[in-house]
Amino acid sequence: MKNKKKLLTGPYLFWAVAFIIIPIVMIFYYGLTDDNYQVTLMNLAEITTPENLKALGLSLLLSFISTVICLILAYPLAMILSQKNTNQSSFIVLIFILPMWMNFLLRTLAWQTLLEKNGVINGVLSFLHLPTLDIINTPYAIVLGMVYNFLPFMVLPIFNVLAKIDKDVINAARDLGANNIQVFTKIILPLSVPGVISGITMVFVPALTTFVISDILGGSKILLIGNVIEQEFTQSFNWHAGSGLSLVLMIFIVISMALISKYDKDGEGTAF
Amino acid sequence: MIKSALQKIYLGFILLLLYAPILTLIALSFNSSKTRSKWGGFSGKWYVALFQNEDIMNALYTTLIIALLSALVATLIGTAAAIGIQALNAKFRTVMMGITNIPMLNADIVTGISLMLLFIACRVFFPQFSLGFTTVLLAHITFNIPYVILSVTPKLKQTNKYTYEAALDLGASPIYAFFKVVLPDIFPGICSGFLLAFTMSLDDFVITHFTTGAGVHTLSTKIYSEVRKGIKPEMYALSTLLFVSVLFLLILVNTAPQENTKKPKKAPSKLKRATTIVFRRVVPAAMILVIVAGGFFYSAQNRSSAADQVIVYNWGEYIDPEVLDMFEEETGITVVYEEFETNESMFPKVQAGAVSYDLVCPSDYMIQRMIENNLLAEINFDNIPNLKYIGEQYLKQSQGFDPENKYSVPYCWGTVGILYNKTMVDEPVDSWSILWNEKYADQILMQNSVRDAFGIALKYCGYSLNSKDLDELQEAKELLMKQKTLVQAYVVDQVRDKMISNEAAIGVIYSGEAIYTQSENPDLEYVIPKEGSNVWIDSWVIPKNAQNKENAEAFINFLCRPDIAKMNFDYITYSTPNTSARELIDDDAIRNSTIAFPDASELERCETFNYLGTKFDNIYNELWREIKSK
Repeated sequence: MKNKKKLLTGPYLFWAVAFIIIPIVMIFYYGLTDDNYQVTLMNLAEITTPENLKALGLSLLLSFISTVICLILAYPLAMILSQKNTNQSSFIVLIFILPMWMNFLLRTLAWQTLLEKNGVINGVLSFLHLPTLDIINTPYAIVLGMVYNFLPFMVLPIFNVLAKIDKDVINAARDLGANNIQVFTKIILPLSVPGVISGITMVFVPALTTFVISDILGGSKILLIGNVIEQEFTQSFNWHAGSGLSLVLMIFIVISMALISKYDKDGEGTAF
Repeated sequence: MIKSALQKIYLGFILLLLYAPILTLIALSFNSSKTRSKWGGFSGKWYVALFQNEDIMNALYTTLIIALLSALVATLIGTAAAIGIQALNAKFRTVMMGITNIPMLNADIVTGISLMLLFIACRVFFPQFSLGFTTVLLAHITFNIPYVILSVTPKLKQTNKYTYEAALDLGASPIYAFFKVVLPDIFPGICSGFLLAFTMSLDDFVITHFTTGAGVHTLSTKIYSEVRKGIKPEMYALSTLLFVSVLFLLILVNTAPQENTKKPKKAPSKLKRATTIVFRRVVPAAMILVIVAGGFFYSAQNRSSAADQVIVYNWGEYIDPEVLDMFEEETGITVVYEEFETNESMFPKVQAGAVSYDLVCPSDYMIQRMIENNLLAEINFDNIPNLKYIGEQYLKQSQGFDPENKYSVPYCWGTVGILYNKTMVDEPVDSWSILWNEKYADQILMQNSVRDAFGIALKYCGYSLNSKDLDELQEAKELLMKQKTLVQAYVVDQVRDKMISNEAAIGVIYSGEAIYTQSENPDLEYVIPKEGSNVWIDSWVIPKNAQNKENAEAFINFLCRPDIAKMNFDYITYSTPNTSARELIDDDAIRNSTIAFPDASELERCETFNYLGTKFDNIYNELWREIKSK
């Protein structure tokens, strides 16, 4: 019986090989060859030029900061949400997915309107005679854009693991004399690790590789590694260097996958 | 008590963060002014304009159809895979789940690029295969499947496998047992997987950006191509409508009378059940039906036979849309219209040949490069009698990059200069030096394009803007690096909106944009600096791999007709080389405007860009990247 069920994996297996595995092989192929199709490591070495290293460093820094801010914002939020009764909470979770129905680019552009020198926020601030906020076209604006766009990817997995925690376990701990802090550090926090790890990777990886947010909110003044790769493909038309840099990025993705399979064996911490 | 209040405040804060941009967009959709940065009063006109805008409605249709199809296919494949994976032994299960995680964790940009490489490689075996609707659909299915698998798997784990076996023991066939026992249990998972896939497909930009081809736009790619030149307000109206209808759906589904499952089963009254069905099934289904039917209606209206067409690849906002309609009406040839932002982003697309364009409108030095790379076809001028309306001097000027006038027909020309705000700049502006004046720190908008930026620095130092001297280039680089601290942003077409809304005091701009910005903000003034500048021509060329060369020539001929050239000039305000068209301009001030048609003496100081060869291209790019990453 089980054998027949296995066959159901067939179409997916075919699809995965054709559209997931082969494309990645193609990236390896382009990344490890030059214009004359000779094998070379030159494209990987591209990353060591001062400009690219700087772009990578800045990307790592900004996405790290964004991930930390997302975590700090999302954890309390997920705790509040997980305490609501089920009907209400599913509605609130939808509230977090709802903004995705407004196009991602438009949402990011709207931040430009909000943050600009003569923008909405500064209009309100100067009306209240407060000092104006001057962060558009700076790394701060990029971090804000990252936090804004990727926050739901942090909230949802943490919420999912927190909602699954058996209330009896918490009650038992309290019966045994644990105070609030102990309940949190000994029970809630350890049980939520899969969600936190999954959230961290789901925020960190897209933040690391974005080129749109830095373009729109950074005034094209700040070059992130995503911008470099995008330009290699669409402007310099150097597919080999672009693929080489993508391969370097993949290292971080492999690390994320390793983390997930270590801490989240059962796929509990998935976002959805 | 305090705790719950704090919780509410916190929740409110996060919701404010999440919804502030959305409220902004909704507000903008009622803004009667066309630019994003000025409030011109309340108006609903964009909602009316939206339904008359074929481009946007087409993009909406493409987006919805791709989202729907990709979500459906992904749900089928994904659900089957989830069930199959559960039946695998532990080792294979880990492998399969690992593969599933790849598209989820992999950077969008890597996924998009890898798929693009695959599709382009496919062209080796199937030359007819071209990037477009199918490739976008395949890509979307690929990144949607994992969402379905990850939604269904947890539900599968919760199901009790003994009920399924019991059903088999009682004589049910496996399929019957599946539909009666397993499916009802995992159905919520399938639904949420489908919805997620639909939402992700709708929201995706990066992967679509890399896998789409000519004439196929989703809302995302449409918006991205508009970012540079200012979003059309109809787009805000559309997003508002989409958002409000989804919000409405959500509220309906959530406030619909709940069936009480916990209480002992009393038969719910017929009325209550009926309302539940109406709220939960009929209304959402009806809304989806309306959306999809609307899409089909628009597509049926707009997609005529693709047999007789011309694929045009032009700068953003560089033609009067009316002209396209007139051409289609007069000739019966369908125009597939596609836009690019910079010469540099256009070139690889034409070279790769993933899409065979029939007509492209690059600038001078890029035309030279295309000729040198053997990408252009000679134009048959017998098909273009209207060439006689083009001024002699412009054809002569074209010989700088097209020595025998064989490949190109001039379309627009102009200069590069400084646009400044008279109320914000005190001293007279006549030199590039103002761009290095520390008084205007954070008030300067610089061109985000290699050649333009270096051209300015080189001219400022008194060198040629086609310099191949490494010391001169190094000097220009140092200057641009020094300037970077003063620059507010590097922009292409956004300079228009930003100058109009007083975001900056000084901007580098093309002469054609200057006329438009002046009409929106009379405080602005345009000047060609005394050190000299760049004078450029954008011309129509026909790529070698064009499929519809004669249609392309008919289109060029149409554009050279004086009345048409004048329509275009009125719309895009870039100087026309069409001397007969210039005579048709009604407004004396504009016909004799020194911005649109500068004196010969001013033009003497200006130079045309030349193509410098691959080696120097790379050097320029390398130096530019050093500046950008400073």
